[in-house]
Amino acid sequence: MVTHEDILKIAKLAKLYVSPKELDRLTKDLNQMIAFTDTINTAAAKANDFDNINGLENAFRKDEPAPSFGRDEILKNAKNCEDGYFLVRRRV
Amino acid sequence: MEYELVCGLETHVELATKTKIFCSCTTEFGGEPNTHCCPVCIGLPGTLPKLNQSVVEFAVMAGLATDCAISPISKMDRKNYVYPDLPKAYQISQYDRPLCKNGYVELSDGRKIRLTRIHIEEDAGKLVHQRGNTLVDYNRSGVPLIEIVSEPDIRSIEEAVEYVEKLQMIMRYIGVSDCRMQEGSLRCDVNISVRPKGSEKLGTRTEIKNMNSISHMMKAMEYERDRQIDLLESGESVLQETRRYNEGTGCTEGMRGKEDAHDYRYFRDPDLVTIRVTSDTVAKLKAQMPEDPRTRLKRFESEYGLPEDDARMLIEHRRIADYFEKASAGIKNTRAVANCITGPIFARLGSEAAKDDFKVNVSPENLNALIKLLDSGKIRMNLVKSTLEKMLDTGKSASEFLNEKDLAGIDAETLQKICKQAVQDNPNAVKDYRNGKTKALKAVLGAVMKATRGRANPLETEAILSEIMKKAD
Repeated sequence: MVTHEDILKIAKLAKLYVSPKELDRLTKDLNQMIAFTDTINTAAAKANDFDNINGLENAFRKDEPAPSFGRDEILKNAKNCEDGYFLVRRRV
Repeated sequence: MEYELVCGLETHVELATKTKIFCSCTTEFGGEPNTHCCPVCIGLPGTLPKLNQSVVEFAVMAGLATDCAISPISKMDRKNYVYPDLPKAYQISQYDRPLCKNGYVELSDGRKIRLTRIHIEEDAGKLVHQRGNTLVDYNRSGVPLIEIVSEPDIRSIEEAVEYVEKLQMIMRYIGVSDCRMQEGSLRCDVNISVRPKGSEKLGTRTEIKNMNSISHMMKAMEYERDRQIDLLESGESVLQETRRYNEGTGCTEGMRGKEDAHDYRYFRDPDLVTIRVTSDTVAKLKAQMPEDPRTRLKRFESEYGLPEDDARMLIEHRRIADYFEKASAGIKNTRAVANCITGPIFARLGSEAAKDDFKVNVSPENLNALIKLLDSGKIRMNLVKSTLEKMLDTGKSASEFLNEKDLAGIDAETLQKICKQAVQDNPNAVKDYRNGKTKALKAVLGAVMKATRGRANPLETEAILSEIMKKAD
Protein backbone atom coordinates (compact mmCIF):
# COMPACT_ATOMS: atom_id res chain seq x y z
CA MET A 1 0.00 0.00 0.00
CA VAL A 2 1.24 3.44 -0.96
CA THR A 3 1.13 5.89 1.94
CA HIS A 4 1.20 9.68 2.24
CA GLU A 5 4.88 9.37 3.15
CA ASP A 6 5.62 7.49 -0.08
CA ILE A 7 3.91 10.21 -2.10
CA LEU A 8 5.95 12.90 -0.34
CA LYS A 9 9.19 10.99 -0.94
CA ILE A 10 8.46 10.48 -4.63
CA ALA A 11 7.51 14.16 -4.93
CA LYS A 12 10.78 15.16 -3.32
CA LEU A 13 12.82 12.96 -5.67
CA ALA A 14 10.91 14.36 -8.64
CA LYS A 15 11.41 17.88 -7.27
CA LEU A 16 7.64 18.45 -7.21
CA TYR A 17 5.63 20.33 -4.60
CA VAL A 18 2.57 18.47 -3.36
CA SER A 19 0.13 20.40 -1.21
CA PRO A 20 -1.49 18.66 1.79
CA LYS A 21 -4.90 18.73 0.18
CA GLU A 22 -3.63 16.82 -2.88
CA LEU A 23 -2.21 14.01 -0.77
CA ASP A 24 -5.34 11.89 -0.37
CA ARG A 25 -6.21 11.97 -4.05
CA LEU A 26 -2.65 11.19 -5.24
CA THR A 27 -2.32 8.35 -2.76
CA LYS A 28 -5.61 6.83 -3.91
CA ASP A 29 -4.65 7.24 -7.61
CA LEU A 30 -1.27 5.65 -7.23
CA ASN A 31 -2.70 2.73 -5.27
CA GLN A 32 -5.19 2.11 -8.08
CA MET A 33 -2.45 2.23 -10.71
CA ILE A 34 -0.35 -0.25 -8.83
CA ALA A 35 -3.34 -2.52 -8.29
CA PHE A 36 -3.91 -2.47 -12.05
CA THR A 37 -0.32 -3.36 -12.93
CA ASP A 38 -0.42 -6.06 -10.25
CA THR A 39 -2.42 -8.07 -12.77
CA ILE A 40 0.91 -9.09 -14.26
CA ASN A 41 1.65 -11.13 -11.13
CA THR A 42 -1.20 -13.48 -12.02
CA ALA A 43 0.66 -14.55 -15.18
CA ALA A 44 2.16 -18.02 -14.85
CA ALA A 45 5.77 -17.01 -15.40
CA LYS A 46 8.99 -17.52 -13.51
CA ALA A 47 11.46 -14.72 -12.91
CA ASN A 48 13.95 -16.31 -15.34
CA ASP A 49 11.46 -16.08 -18.18
CA PHE A 50 12.30 -12.41 -18.42
CA ASP A 51 16.05 -12.94 -18.70
CA ASN A 52 16.02 -12.93 -22.43
CA ILE A 53 12.71 -11.65 -23.60
CA ASN A 54 13.70 -10.89 -27.20
CA GLY A 55 15.90 -13.97 -27.61
CA LEU A 56 18.96 -11.89 -28.38
CA GLU A 57 22.24 -12.34 -26.59
CA ASN A 58 25.91 -11.44 -26.78
CA ALA A 59 25.66 -8.60 -29.29
CA PHE A 60 29.27 -7.58 -28.88
CA ARG A 61 31.61 -5.11 -30.50
CA LYS A 62 35.31 -5.86 -31.06
CA ASP A 63 37.70 -3.73 -29.01
CA GLU A 64 38.95 -1.75 -31.99
CA PRO A 65 39.29 2.04 -31.78
CA ALA A 66 37.69 4.31 -34.34
CA PRO A 67 38.21 8.06 -34.61
CA SER A 68 36.16 10.17 -32.21
CA PHE A 69 34.16 13.18 -33.34
CA GLY A 70 35.83 16.58 -33.60
CA ARG A 71 35.43 18.72 -30.52
CA ASP A 72 33.52 21.44 -32.37
CA GLU A 73 31.03 18.83 -33.49
CA ILE A 74 30.70 17.48 -29.93
CA LEU A 75 30.14 20.96 -28.46
CA LYS A 76 27.89 22.16 -31.28
CA ASN A 77 24.61 21.72 -29.43
CA ALA A 78 25.88 22.85 -26.03
CA LYS A 79 24.10 25.86 -24.58
CA ASN A 80 27.35 27.07 -23.05
CA CYS A 81 30.96 26.05 -23.39
CA GLU A 82 34.33 27.38 -22.35
CA ASP A 83 37.88 26.34 -23.31
CA GLY A 84 36.63 23.16 -24.94
CA TYR A 85 34.50 22.17 -21.94
CA PHE A 86 30.75 22.04 -21.56
CA LEU A 87 29.80 24.75 -19.10
CA VAL A 88 26.94 24.14 -16.66
CA ARG A 89 25.74 25.83 -13.52
CA ARG A 90 27.34 24.36 -10.41
CA ARG A 91 25.16 21.91 -8.45
CA VAL A 92 25.63 20.51 -4.93
CA MET B 1 35.62 1.06 26.04
CA GLU B 2 37.63 -0.66 23.34
CA TYR B 3 36.24 -0.43 19.83
CA GLU B 4 36.67 -2.50 16.71
CA LEU B 5 36.70 -1.13 13.18
CA VAL B 6 34.49 -2.80 10.59
CA CYS B 7 35.07 -1.90 6.97
CA GLY B 8 34.02 -2.97 3.50
CA LEU B 9 35.36 -1.53 0.27
CA GLU B 10 33.89 -0.77 -3.11
CA THR B 11 36.77 -0.59 -5.52
CA HIS B 12 36.46 0.85 -9.01
CA VAL B 13 39.05 -0.40 -11.45
CA GLU B 14 39.35 1.05 -14.95
CA LEU B 15 39.82 -1.73 -17.48
CA ALA B 16 42.76 -1.58 -19.88
CA THR B 17 40.70 -1.97 -23.04
CA LYS B 18 41.58 0.14 -26.06
CA THR B 19 38.07 1.47 -26.48
CA LYS B 20 35.20 2.57 -24.27
CA ILE B 21 32.56 0.17 -23.02
CA PHE B 22 29.76 1.12 -25.46
CA CYS B 23 31.51 2.95 -28.32
CA SER B 24 34.79 2.90 -30.26
CA CYS B 25 36.29 6.06 -28.72
CA THR B 26 39.74 5.63 -27.21
CA THR B 27 40.18 5.13 -23.46
CA GLU B 28 43.57 6.86 -23.45
CA PHE B 29 44.20 8.90 -20.30
CA GLY B 30 44.35 12.67 -20.68
CA GLY B 31 43.90 14.36 -24.05
CA GLU B 32 42.35 17.77 -24.65
CA PRO B 33 38.87 18.00 -23.09
CA ASN B 34 36.04 16.45 -25.11
CA THR B 35 38.27 15.08 -27.85
CA HIS B 36 37.67 11.37 -27.05
CA CYS B 37 33.92 11.64 -27.53
CA CYS B 38 31.15 10.61 -29.90
CA PRO B 39 27.35 10.80 -29.81
CA VAL B 40 27.15 7.54 -27.79
CA CYS B 41 29.41 8.60 -24.92
CA ILE B 42 27.99 12.11 -24.67
CA GLY B 43 24.52 10.58 -24.43
CA LEU B 44 22.83 12.07 -27.47
CA PRO B 45 19.30 10.78 -28.03
CA GLY B 46 18.85 8.09 -30.64
CA THR B 47 22.28 6.55 -30.21
CA LEU B 48 22.72 2.85 -29.55
CA PRO B 49 25.32 1.51 -27.11
CA LYS B 50 27.11 -1.68 -28.15
CA LEU B 51 28.98 -3.69 -25.55
CA ASN B 52 32.74 -4.14 -25.92
CA GLN B 53 33.52 -7.88 -25.82
CA SER B 54 36.89 -7.32 -24.11
CA VAL B 55 35.12 -5.64 -21.18
CA VAL B 56 33.17 -8.82 -20.49
CA GLU B 57 36.28 -10.96 -20.92
CA PHE B 58 38.43 -8.78 -18.63
CA ALA B 59 35.71 -8.76 -15.97
CA VAL B 60 35.42 -12.55 -16.13
CA MET B 61 39.21 -12.81 -15.78
CA ALA B 62 39.08 -10.49 -12.75
CA GLY B 63 36.41 -12.78 -11.31
CA LEU B 64 38.43 -15.93 -11.96
CA ALA B 65 41.53 -14.37 -10.37
CA THR B 66 39.55 -13.68 -7.19
CA ASP B 67 37.83 -17.07 -7.02
CA CYS B 68 34.42 -15.71 -7.99
CA ALA B 69 31.61 -17.71 -9.51
CA ILE B 70 30.96 -16.49 -13.06
CA SER B 71 27.28 -15.88 -13.83
CA PRO B 72 26.19 -17.70 -16.98
CA ILE B 73 23.53 -15.05 -17.59
CA SER B 74 23.79 -11.38 -16.80
CA LYS B 75 22.47 -8.09 -18.09
CA MET B 76 22.98 -4.34 -18.01
CA ASP B 77 20.77 -1.97 -16.00
CA ARG B 78 20.24 1.76 -15.89
CA LYS B 79 21.05 3.52 -12.64
CA ASN B 80 19.27 6.83 -12.74
CA TYR B 81 20.66 9.98 -11.18
CA VAL B 82 20.96 13.55 -12.29
CA TYR B 83 24.40 15.07 -12.13
CA PRO B 84 26.39 16.70 -14.94
CA ASP B 85 29.15 14.06 -14.95
CA LEU B 86 26.62 11.73 -16.61
CA PRO B 87 25.27 13.10 -19.87
CA LYS B 88 22.39 10.60 -20.11
CA ALA B 89 21.16 11.17 -16.54
CA TYR B 90 21.72 7.46 -15.96
CA GLN B 91 24.75 5.26 -15.70
CA ILE B 92 24.72 1.89 -17.42
CA SER B 93 25.72 -0.59 -14.73
CA GLN B 94 24.66 -4.00 -13.42
CA TYR B 95 22.14 -4.32 -10.62
CA ASP B 96 20.79 -7.74 -9.70
CA ARG B 97 22.75 -9.86 -12.19
CA PRO B 98 26.44 -9.02 -11.81
CA LEU B 99 28.95 -10.93 -13.96
CA CYS B 100 30.84 -12.34 -10.98
CA LYS B 101 29.81 -13.29 -7.43
CA ASN B 102 31.16 -14.72 -4.17
CA GLY B 103 34.93 -14.47 -4.46
CA TYR B 104 37.64 -13.60 -2.02
CA VAL B 105 41.05 -12.00 -1.66
CA GLU B 106 43.48 -13.66 0.73
CA LEU B 107 45.63 -11.50 3.00
CA SER B 108 49.18 -12.46 3.97
CA ASP B 109 48.04 -13.83 7.34
CA GLY B 110 45.70 -16.19 5.50
CA ARG B 111 42.51 -14.28 6.34
CA LYS B 112 40.05 -14.13 3.48
CA ILE B 113 38.24 -10.91 2.61
CA ARG B 114 35.07 -12.06 0.88
CA LEU B 115 33.92 -10.37 -2.32
CA THR B 116 30.19 -9.96 -2.74
CA ARG B 117 30.34 -9.25 -6.45
CA ILE B 118 32.18 -7.79 -9.40
CA HIS B 119 30.13 -5.98 -12.02
CA ILE B 120 30.85 -3.93 -15.13
CA GLU B 121 29.75 -0.33 -15.69
CA GLU B 122 30.70 2.89 -17.43
CA ASP B 123 32.79 5.64 -15.86
CA ALA B 124 31.47 9.20 -15.63
CA GLY B 125 32.96 12.39 -17.04
CA LYS B 126 35.29 14.73 -15.20
CA LEU B 127 34.03 17.92 -13.59
CA VAL B 128 36.09 21.01 -12.90
CA HIS B 129 34.35 23.36 -10.49
CA GLN B 130 35.17 27.03 -10.75
CA ARG B 131 33.29 29.95 -9.22
CA GLY B 132 29.59 29.26 -9.65
CA ASN B 133 30.09 27.06 -12.68
CA THR B 134 31.17 23.58 -13.58
CA LEU B 135 33.26 22.66 -16.61
CA VAL B 136 32.57 19.19 -18.01
CA ASP B 137 34.98 16.94 -19.90
CA TYR B 138 33.43 13.71 -21.21
CA ASN B 139 36.69 12.02 -22.29
CA ARG B 140 36.36 9.59 -19.37
CA SER B 141 32.64 9.12 -19.88
CA GLY B 142 32.09 5.53 -20.99
CA VAL B 143 35.52 4.23 -20.00
CA PRO B 144 34.89 0.67 -18.76
CA LEU B 145 35.06 -0.03 -15.04
CA ILE B 146 34.65 -3.04 -12.86
CA GLU B 147 33.31 -2.42 -9.38
CA ILE B 148 34.61 -4.91 -6.85
CA VAL B 149 32.45 -5.00 -3.73
CA SER B 150 33.81 -6.61 -0.57
CA GLU B 151 31.90 -7.87 2.45
CA PRO B 152 32.49 -5.92 5.69
CA ASP B 153 35.33 -8.30 6.56
CA ILE B 154 38.12 -5.75 7.02
CA ARG B 155 39.05 -5.09 10.66
CA SER B 156 41.86 -2.54 10.54
CA ILE B 157 43.34 0.23 8.42
CA GLU B 158 46.35 -2.01 7.71
CA GLU B 159 44.06 -4.74 6.40
CA ALA B 160 42.29 -2.23 4.15
CA VAL B 161 45.64 -1.15 2.71
CA GLU B 162 46.78 -4.72 2.19
CA TYR B 163 43.46 -5.59 0.55
CA VAL B 164 43.75 -2.70 -1.93
CA GLU B 165 47.39 -3.53 -2.69
CA LYS B 166 46.52 -7.19 -3.25
CA LEU B 167 43.71 -6.23 -5.61
CA GLN B 168 46.08 -3.92 -7.44
CA MET B 169 48.64 -6.70 -7.81
CA ILE B 170 46.10 -9.26 -9.01
CA MET B 171 44.51 -6.94 -11.56
CA ARG B 172 47.88 -5.81 -12.93
CA TYR B 173 49.04 -9.40 -13.07
CA ILE B 174 46.23 -10.63 -15.24
CA GLY B 175 46.61 -7.48 -17.33
CA VAL B 176 43.07 -6.16 -16.96
CA SER B 177 44.14 -2.78 -15.51
CA ASP B 178 47.24 -0.75 -14.68
CA CYS B 179 45.52 0.24 -11.39
CA ARG B 180 47.20 3.65 -11.10
CA MET B 181 45.55 5.45 -8.23
CA GLN B 182 47.15 8.79 -9.16
CA GLU B 183 45.55 8.58 -12.62
CA GLY B 184 42.25 7.45 -11.15
CA SER B 185 42.33 3.99 -12.68
CA LEU B 186 41.75 2.55 -9.19
CA ARG B 187 39.45 4.36 -6.74
CA CYS B 188 37.84 3.23 -3.52
CA ASP B 189 34.68 4.01 -1.60
CA VAL B 190 35.18 3.01 2.02
CA ASN B 191 32.24 1.83 4.14
CA ILE B 192 33.21 2.15 7.75
CA SER B 193 31.65 1.60 11.17
CA VAL B 194 32.81 0.88 14.70
CA ARG B 195 31.43 -1.40 17.40
CA PRO B 196 32.42 -2.38 20.93
CA LYS B 197 35.11 -5.04 20.71
CA GLY B 198 33.56 -8.49 20.95
CA SER B 199 30.15 -7.32 19.74
CA GLU B 200 28.61 -9.18 16.81
CA LYS B 201 26.19 -6.43 15.84
CA LEU B 202 27.31 -4.04 13.11
CA GLY B 203 27.34 -0.34 13.99
CA THR B 204 25.84 2.37 11.78
CA ARG B 205 28.16 2.92 8.85
CA THR B 206 29.22 5.89 6.82
CA GLU B 207 30.63 5.80 3.32
CA ILE B 208 33.68 7.84 2.34
CA LYS B 209 33.63 8.42 -1.40
CA ASN B 210 36.36 8.38 -4.01
CA MET B 211 39.64 7.73 -2.24
CA ASN B 212 42.35 8.10 -4.87
CA SER B 213 45.49 7.35 -2.89
CA ILE B 214 46.46 4.85 -0.21
CA SER B 215 47.73 7.59 2.11
CA HIS B 216 44.49 9.57 1.84
CA MET B 217 42.52 6.41 2.44
CA MET B 218 44.51 5.69 5.61
CA LYS B 219 44.09 9.24 6.93
CA ALA B 220 40.39 9.32 6.07
CA MET B 221 39.75 5.98 7.79
CA GLU B 222 41.66 7.03 10.88
CA TYR B 223 39.74 10.29 11.12
CA GLU B 224 36.39 8.65 10.50
CA ARG B 225 37.01 5.84 13.00
CA ASP B 226 37.96 8.34 15.73
CA ARG B 227 35.02 10.60 14.88
CA GLN B 228 32.57 7.71 15.22
CA ILE B 229 34.13 6.53 18.49
CA ASP B 230 33.94 10.09 19.89
CA LEU B 231 30.25 10.29 18.95
CA LEU B 232 29.45 6.97 20.65
CA GLU B 233 31.53 7.81 23.71
CA SER B 234 29.64 11.07 24.18
CA GLY B 235 26.33 9.23 23.97
CA GLU B 236 25.44 10.42 20.48
CA SER B 237 24.78 8.19 17.49
CA VAL B 238 26.42 7.91 14.09
CA LEU B 239 24.33 9.18 11.20
CA GLN B 240 24.27 6.91 8.16
CA GLU B 241 25.52 9.15 5.40
CA THR B 242 27.93 9.63 2.53
CA ARG B 243 31.03 11.64 3.40
CA ARG B 244 33.93 13.10 1.50
CA TYR B 245 37.54 13.38 2.61
CA ASN B 246 38.94 16.90 2.60
CA GLU B 247 42.64 16.64 1.75
CA GLY B 248 43.28 20.15 3.02
CA THR B 249 41.91 19.67 6.54
CA GLY B 250 42.43 15.90 6.83
CA CYS B 251 38.78 15.59 7.93
CA THR B 252 35.75 13.84 6.48
CA GLU B 253 32.67 15.96 5.80
CA GLY B 254 29.02 14.97 5.34
CA MET B 255 27.76 15.11 1.75
CA ARG B 256 24.22 13.81 1.97
CA GLY B 257 22.19 12.08 4.64
CA LYS B 258 20.09 8.97 4.39
CA GLU B 259 16.87 10.98 4.01
CA ASP B 260 18.20 12.17 0.66
CA ALA B 261 19.41 8.69 -0.24
CA HIS B 262 19.09 8.29 -3.95
CA ASP B 263 16.37 6.21 -5.35
CA TYR B 264 18.22 5.01 -8.43
CA ARG B 265 15.16 3.45 -10.05
CA TYR B 266 17.25 0.67 -11.54
CA PHE B 267 15.76 -1.06 -14.52
CA ARG B 268 17.09 -3.18 -17.34
CA ASP B 269 18.67 -1.23 -20.17
CA PRO B 270 16.44 -2.12 -23.11
CA ASP B 271 19.19 -1.14 -25.58
CA LEU B 272 21.52 -3.90 -24.44
CA VAL B 273 20.90 -7.60 -24.83
CA THR B 274 21.52 -10.46 -22.43
CA ILE B 275 25.12 -11.44 -21.73
CA ARG B 276 25.71 -15.18 -21.75
CA VAL B 277 29.06 -16.48 -20.58
CA THR B 278 29.35 -20.15 -21.47
CA SER B 279 31.55 -22.61 -19.64
CA ASP B 280 33.60 -22.86 -22.86
CA THR B 281 34.29 -19.12 -22.74
CA VAL B 282 35.28 -19.37 -19.09
CA ALA B 283 37.62 -22.29 -19.84
CA LYS B 284 39.17 -20.41 -22.76
CA LEU B 285 39.80 -17.30 -20.66
CA LYS B 286 41.17 -19.38 -17.80
CA ALA B 287 43.67 -20.97 -20.18
CA GLN B 288 44.82 -17.52 -21.36
CA MET B 289 45.41 -16.20 -17.87
CA PRO B 290 48.94 -16.08 -16.52
CA GLU B 291 49.88 -18.06 -13.42
CA ASP B 292 48.41 -16.28 -10.42
CA PRO B 293 50.82 -14.47 -8.09
CA ARG B 294 50.27 -16.81 -5.11
CA THR B 295 51.22 -19.94 -7.08
CA ARG B 296 54.11 -18.15 -8.72
CA LEU B 297 55.51 -17.07 -5.35
CA LYS B 298 55.58 -20.66 -4.13
CA ARG B 299 57.14 -21.83 -7.39
CA PHE B 300 59.87 -19.16 -7.26
CA GLU B 301 60.77 -20.39 -3.79
CA SER B 302 60.87 -24.08 -4.72
CA GLU B 303 62.04 -24.01 -8.33
CA TYR B 304 64.65 -21.26 -8.05
CA GLY B 305 65.52 -21.69 -4.37
CA LEU B 306 64.84 -18.03 -3.60
CA PRO B 307 64.21 -16.76 -0.07
CA GLU B 308 60.57 -15.69 0.36
CA ASP B 309 61.39 -11.95 0.57
CA ASP B 310 63.32 -12.01 -2.72
CA ALA B 311 60.62 -14.06 -4.42
CA ARG B 312 57.98 -11.62 -3.17
CA MET B 313 59.84 -8.61 -4.60
CA LEU B 314 60.13 -10.33 -7.98
CA ILE B 315 56.56 -11.55 -8.36
CA GLU B 316 54.88 -8.30 -7.34
CA HIS B 317 54.98 -7.05 -10.92
CA ARG B 318 54.40 -9.53 -13.69
CA ARG B 319 56.91 -8.02 -16.11
CA ILE B 320 59.64 -8.32 -13.49
CA ALA B 321 58.76 -11.93 -12.74
CA ASP B 322 58.74 -12.73 -16.47
CA TYR B 323 62.10 -10.98 -16.87
CA PHE B 324 63.58 -12.96 -13.99
CA GLU B 325 62.45 -16.26 -15.48
CA LYS B 326 63.93 -15.42 -18.89
CA ALA B 327 67.20 -14.24 -17.37
CA SER B 328 67.41 -17.39 -15.22
CA ALA B 329 67.15 -19.87 -18.08
CA GLY B 330 69.88 -22.49 -17.60
CA ILE B 331 71.43 -20.60 -14.67
CA LYS B 332 72.66 -22.36 -11.53
CA ASN B 333 73.10 -19.25 -9.42
CA THR B 334 69.54 -17.93 -9.73
CA ARG B 335 69.95 -15.93 -6.52
CA ALA B 336 72.56 -13.85 -8.34
CA VAL B 337 69.98 -13.10 -11.04
CA ALA B 338 67.51 -12.09 -8.31
CA ASN B 339 70.13 -9.92 -6.63
CA CYS B 340 70.96 -8.16 -9.89
CA ILE B 341 67.29 -7.30 -10.34
CA THR B 342 66.47 -6.27 -6.76
CA GLY B 343 69.83 -4.44 -6.45
CA PRO B 344 71.25 -2.47 -9.40
CA ILE B 345 68.13 -2.68 -11.58
CA PHE B 346 65.59 -1.69 -8.89
CA ALA B 347 67.89 1.17 -7.88
CA ARG B 348 67.18 2.72 -11.27
CA LEU B 349 63.40 2.34 -11.00
CA GLY B 350 62.07 4.89 -8.56
CA SER B 351 58.33 4.46 -8.32
CA GLU B 352 55.99 1.49 -8.23
CA ALA B 353 54.68 2.67 -11.60
CA ALA B 354 58.22 2.46 -13.04
CA LYS B 355 58.54 -1.06 -11.66
CA ASP B 356 55.23 -1.95 -13.25
CA ASP B 357 56.37 -0.57 -16.63
CA PHE B 358 59.78 -2.19 -16.10
CA LYS B 359 61.55 -0.45 -18.95
CA VAL B 360 65.14 -1.66 -18.53
CA ASN B 361 67.73 -1.36 -21.28
CA VAL B 362 69.41 -4.65 -20.42
CA SER B 363 67.57 -7.50 -22.08
CA PRO B 364 66.98 -10.67 -20.03
CA GLU B 365 69.19 -12.48 -22.57
CA ASN B 366 72.09 -10.09 -21.86
CA LEU B 367 71.69 -10.51 -18.10
CA ASN B 368 71.55 -14.26 -18.65
CA ALA B 369 74.84 -14.16 -20.59
CA LEU B 370 76.46 -12.14 -17.79
CA ILE B 371 75.35 -14.53 -15.04
CA LYS B 372 76.52 -17.51 -17.12
CA LEU B 373 80.06 -16.09 -16.78
CA LEU B 374 79.55 -16.12 -13.02
CA ASP B 375 78.18 -19.67 -13.11
CA SER B 376 81.23 -20.93 -14.99
CA GLY B 377 83.57 -19.23 -12.50
CA LYS B 378 85.01 -16.87 -15.12
CA ILE B 379 84.08 -13.74 -13.18
CA ARG B 380 83.09 -12.89 -9.59
CA MET B 381 79.96 -11.21 -8.22
CA ASN B 382 81.56 -7.76 -7.77
CA LEU B 383 82.59 -7.75 -11.43
CA VAL B 384 79.07 -8.86 -12.34
CA LYS B 385 77.62 -5.89 -10.49
CA SER B 386 80.02 -3.30 -11.91
CA THR B 387 79.58 -4.69 -15.43
CA LEU B 388 75.79 -4.65 -15.00
CA GLU B 389 75.96 -0.97 -14.03
CA LYS B 390 77.82 -0.24 -17.28
CA MET B 391 75.31 -2.29 -19.24
CA LEU B 392 72.45 -0.35 -17.62
CA ASP B 393 74.16 2.93 -18.50
CA THR B 394 74.65 2.05 -22.15
CA GLY B 395 72.29 -0.79 -23.06
CA LYS B 396 75.27 -2.74 -24.46
CA SER B 397 76.01 -6.40 -23.74
CA ALA B 398 78.50 -7.69 -21.17
CA SER B 399 81.12 -8.62 -23.78
CA GLU B 400 81.60 -4.91 -24.54
CA PHE B 401 82.98 -4.31 -21.04
CA LEU B 402 84.83 -7.50 -20.18
CA ASN B 403 88.24 -7.97 -21.79
CA GLU B 404 90.12 -11.24 -22.14
CA LYS B 405 92.04 -10.52 -18.99
CA ASP B 406 88.79 -10.13 -17.01
CA LEU B 407 87.53 -13.43 -18.32
CA ALA B 408 90.77 -15.32 -18.11
CA GLY B 409 90.49 -15.83 -14.39
CA ILE B 410 93.70 -16.38 -12.49
CA ASP B 411 95.91 -19.38 -12.84
CA ALA B 412 96.87 -21.25 -9.69
CA GLU B 413 100.53 -20.24 -9.78
CA THR B 414 99.83 -16.51 -10.02
CA LEU B 415 97.24 -16.74 -7.27
CA GLN B 416 99.70 -18.57 -5.04
CA LYS B 417 102.25 -15.79 -5.67
CA ILE B 418 99.78 -12.99 -4.93
CA CYS B 419 98.67 -14.76 -1.74
CA LYS B 420 102.23 -15.10 -0.50
CA GLN B 421 102.83 -11.42 -1.17
CA ALA B 422 99.66 -10.47 0.69
CA VAL B 423 100.72 -12.52 3.72
CA GLN B 424 104.11 -10.83 3.74
CA ASP B 425 102.48 -7.41 3.51
CA ASN B 426 100.18 -8.03 6.48
CA PRO B 427 102.31 -9.35 9.35
CA ASN B 428 99.92 -8.09 12.02
CA ALA B 429 96.98 -9.96 10.57
CA VAL B 430 99.07 -13.11 10.39
CA LYS B 431 100.01 -12.71 14.05
CA ASP B 432 96.37 -12.23 15.06
CA TYR B 433 95.39 -15.24 13.01
CA ARG B 434 97.91 -17.45 14.72
CA ASN B 435 96.64 -16.21 18.08
CA GLY B 436 93.25 -17.62 17.26
CA LYS B 437 91.58 -14.59 15.66
CA THR B 438 90.40 -16.41 12.55
CA LYS B 439 88.65 -13.27 11.32
CA ALA B 440 92.05 -11.72 10.64
CA LEU B 441 92.19 -13.85 7.51
CA LYS B 442 89.53 -11.62 5.93
CA ALA B 443 91.91 -8.65 5.94
CA VAL B 444 94.47 -10.63 3.94
CA LEU B 445 91.75 -11.97 1.66
CA GLY B 446 90.72 -8.36 1.00
CA ALA B 447 94.26 -7.54 -0.07
CA VAL B 448 94.27 -10.46 -2.52
CA MET B 449 90.91 -9.43 -3.96
CA LYS B 450 92.18 -5.91 -4.43
CA ALA B 451 95.33 -7.12 -6.14
CA THR B 452 93.34 -9.39 -8.48
CA ARG B 453 90.56 -6.84 -9.07
CA GLY B 454 88.09 -9.30 -7.67
CA ARG B 455 88.92 -12.06 -10.12
CA ALA B 456 90.13 -14.54 -7.54
CA ASN B 457 87.73 -17.17 -6.26
CA PRO B 458 87.18 -16.23 -2.60
CA LEU B 459 86.83 -19.82 -1.32
CA GLU B 460 89.89 -21.03 -3.16
CA THR B 461 91.89 -18.01 -1.98
CA GLU B 462 90.81 -18.52 1.63
CA ALA B 463 92.08 -22.09 1.51
CA ILE B 464 95.45 -21.04 0.08
CA LEU B 465 95.81 -18.19 2.58
CA SER B 466 95.02 -20.26 5.65
CA GLU B 467 97.58 -22.83 4.55
CA ILE B 468 100.28 -20.19 4.03
CA MET B 469 99.46 -18.38 7.26
CA LYS B 470 99.53 -21.54 9.35
CA LYS B 471 103.05 -22.46 8.30
CA ALA B 472 104.57 -19.04 7.56
CA ASP B 473 107.43 -17.91 9.77
